[in-house]
Amino acid sequence: MPRLTIDGREIEAPAGQTVMDAARAAGIFIPYFCWHPQLSVPGNCRICVVGVEDKGGEWIDIACNMPVSEGMVVHTNSEGVRQRRKDTLQFITLNHPVDCGICDKAGECTLQDYHYEYNGERSLSRDAKNHETKHHALSPRIVLDNERCIQCTRCVRFTREVSKSNGLGMQNRADHSLVRAVEDGSFANDPYSDNVIDLCPVGALLSPSFLHKARVWYLKPTASVCPGCARGCTVNLWHRRPEWRLRAPDMRAQNESIDRVTPLENPAVNGPWICNKGRDLAKLLGRARAEGAMLKGRAAELQGAIAMARSLIAAARKPVALVSSWGSNEELAAFRAAFGERLDARVKADHAPEPGEVVEDAILIRADKNPNTAGAKAIFGDAPPDIPKDADLVLVWGEGLDFNRIPAGAKIVYLNAWLQPENGHADVFIPISIQTERSGHYTNFAGVTSAFAKCFPKPAQAADAETLFASLALAPGGGP
Amino acid sequence: MPGRQLIMNFEVTPTSHTLEAYRARGGYATLEKALTTMQPVDITKEVTASGLLGHGGAAFPVGRKWAVMKPGSDETHYLCANADEGEPGTFKDRWILENAPHLLVESMLIASYALGVRNAFVYIRGEFDLPYRRIQGAIDEAYAAGLLGAKLHGTPFELDIVVYRGAGSYVCGEASGLITSIEGRKPYPRNRPPRLTVRGLYQKPTVINNVESLANITGIVRMGAEEFRKVGTAKSPGTQLISISGHIAKPGVYEVEYGYPWARFLDEDCGGMLHGAKMKCIVPGGISTKVLTRAEIEPLMLSHESVNPAGSGLGSGGMIVIAEGTCMVRLLQVLLRFYHHESCGQCTPCREGMGWMHRIIDRIVAGQGVPEDIDRLYAISEANDGTTICGMGDAAGYATVGILNKFRDEFEYFIANKRSKCDGRLECLA
Repeated sequence: MPRLTIDGREIEAPAGQTVMDAARAAGIFIPYFCWHPQLSVPGNCRICVVGVEDKGGEWIDIACNMPVSEGMVVHTNSEGVRQRRKDTLQFITLNHPVDCGICDKAGECTLQDYHYEYNGERSLSRDAKNHETKHHALSPRIVLDNERCIQCTRCVRFTREVSKSNGLGMQNRADHSLVRAVEDGSFANDPYSDNVIDLCPVGALLSPSFLHKARVWYLKPTASVCPGCARGCTVNLWHRRPEWRLRAPDMRAQNESIDRVTPLENPAVNGPWICNKGRDLAKLLGRARAEGAMLKGRAAELQGAIAMARSLIAAARKPVALVSSWGSNEELAAFRAAFGERLDARVKADHAPEPGEVVEDAILIRADKNPNTAGAKAIFGDAPPDIPKDADLVLVWGEGLDFNRIPAGAKIVYLNAWLQPENGHADVFIPISIQTERSGHYTNFAGVTSAFAKCFPKPAQAADAETLFASLALAPGGGP
Repeated sequence: MPGRQLIMNFEVTPTSHTLEAYRARGGYATLEKALTTMQPVDITKEVTASGLLGHGGAAFPVGRKWAVMKPGSDETHYLCANADEGEPGTFKDRWILENAPHLLVESMLIASYALGVRNAFVYIRGEFDLPYRRIQGAIDEAYAAGLLGAKLHGTPFELDIVVYRGAGSYVCGEASGLITSIEGRKPYPRNRPPRLTVRGLYQKPTVINNVESLANITGIVRMGAEEFRKVGTAKSPGTQLISISGHIAKPGVYEVEYGYPWARFLDEDCGGMLHGAKMKCIVPGGISTKVLTRAEIEPLMLSHESVNPAGSGLGSGGMIVIAEGTCMVRLLQVLLRFYHHESCGQCTPCREGMGWMHRIIDRIVAGQGVPEDIDRLYAISEANDGTTICGMGDAAGYATVGILNKFRDEFEYFIANKRSKCDGRLECLA
């Protein structure tokens, strides 16, 4: 393995590795715009220049395309390198509008950071900037601000190398180059298109659903797991920081909503990507909630409903349970601990693929649209979710069951978070908490377990599933 | 004619480009000699020994490029003739394509034999109409005569040549941009390493040579490296096609033996300045080389070792003669408009720098220049030097710095007085 020196530190790097990779492996930071660990090396931004000692002088070239060689001495912060970076930043900001005040990326923008770190000078140009389209819809999901674009081509390469839709390309040349979607609409149909928003090092690619919604420094990410399919991609759910919550009386919806979803890099599951369904978790998890407990469709106190459910279960001769594949491992374990073998428990699929949804592909998306089927089946076995004809009580946990499948005469105890017509048909209905209101773990199709954390408080009317099961299983007189 | 002739050594007639006429001049005999008496490695050795320098502009030794190839290996190799003659002021490949297309075809056959190439390409610029028809016609004739697409002279060697017409971009003349264009993509030049002789067209080892460089191959193989070296100088063997234009009495394409005195070439062979005007300066080899004044070229020979120390180069041989009275500010404006228009937009310094320089020079010509603009042009040229993916960013900088160094006073005058120092002084066109 070649040995080289970077900034005075001697490191060893595999032959064929680039100086960029070697430096990163050694914890030495080299700035970059166009380079990305998962994409090909275009070498077009020219900000990653480093100096290599050569016959008393220094030659400067880009680190992302420079193979390591034995005995090479690299400087990432020499006088020449600093000057080149300043020059490059002058070039990049030449036609960049610097409209950080109205840019969603401000606060997490690579160009902002580098400008303060490596340049700090005002533009040396006295001429007008080029004007381009400020709001060009690349697809219904992505808008492009061409003035902000620094033409790093990360988005273009993403559609060619990762999502394989080939949906984007560069049009025109020189400083009139534009990123444009190809005309066959393949970008609009790319189920991974939203990743280009995170890939964009500046605020050129934007999500209309997040556009001008919040400054990122008012938001905080909470690590979570996407429940959209059995892949279980780790994500960050961005929501308003508690210390920045809006205090006006009707602001609860804004204080407790998912403002955006970004991937949480995880090599074991999803790498740095998620699909568009994961971006839309705010829709999936923001559906209308069940308003309160019900007995045969009539509103009831939560405690009363729990007591009723408990006595029904205790009285049943052949009780059957359909457990949720959206339950966390902790909840599923609590269910098993509470009821033991007393209930004939089977795992049901809460969600099936929606019409128009990508069912399965070779990248991330799985056909099973439930996050914890594997975790549930590990506890409750692989039996199909059929209901025996002679069941006299069915405990249904989670949505997605056709109540017509329940034998006539059987009592129904229904635990569900959402406002759905079935709720009123149950003998006992108990609203429960959802993923963002509790912590837990999901096990994905490959057996990898990922954790999700609580973002918001649980609504008062909903029961916490993990503790609910224990009180449902208590014998009517108290005690198990 | 200035010195001995290796390429323009026949009389151009309406039929001199045909296979029949070429055969009558001894055409395709060298191919037979190469295939029947020489091993591929011998040809590469001969080319290396000839010291032939590339005629595309960089004067890189052809033999050194060829020596990287491993013709015996299983890997596919490609040869590509660069006929995307886009450097402003250069039109010498056009002469070869129009008048000696079979010389190129024969040379490509010999080169392909030497390099183990089965498929070769001619990348020709889209604006070339007659040259395209002539080279395509020559290739069609060669197919009909069994020279292409068939096993030759009892050897397993055969070759197909495809002519690929570009869509008109300067950057397609850059070797890696050219192959990217052949692959059907936007001609973004590629980063080196890897070199194109390692991973080129379709990621296979590829040799890309200028049309004129290739055209010399037949002569070298026919006469042998030793004879070839007797033409020209020790460090610049052979000849160079010079395409001369501008304020000169007899513009056109001339074949010049290396080592020929530059001043004599201009005054005698080219008939001196147009209408006896005084020469202000000359672009020696395409606009990307630095301009030289008449006084500077007076002692120089037309050879790389003579011109390079003067801070310029013979480049692609595209000379533009500029008479006294020409406004250098407006001349630079034209150059920078060209570079701005032709920047592919891939890498930052060139994409933004060309536009920036163009805007500055436009503003100066519009009478709104400020003194710091000159320093800014220097600084942008400097920031482009060696920082871009291909050589185009450097080239624009060289051209700009070359003009600014020698004619800074004209720029200062223009900025201070909002008019050209040369207005009304260009008399040679009267």
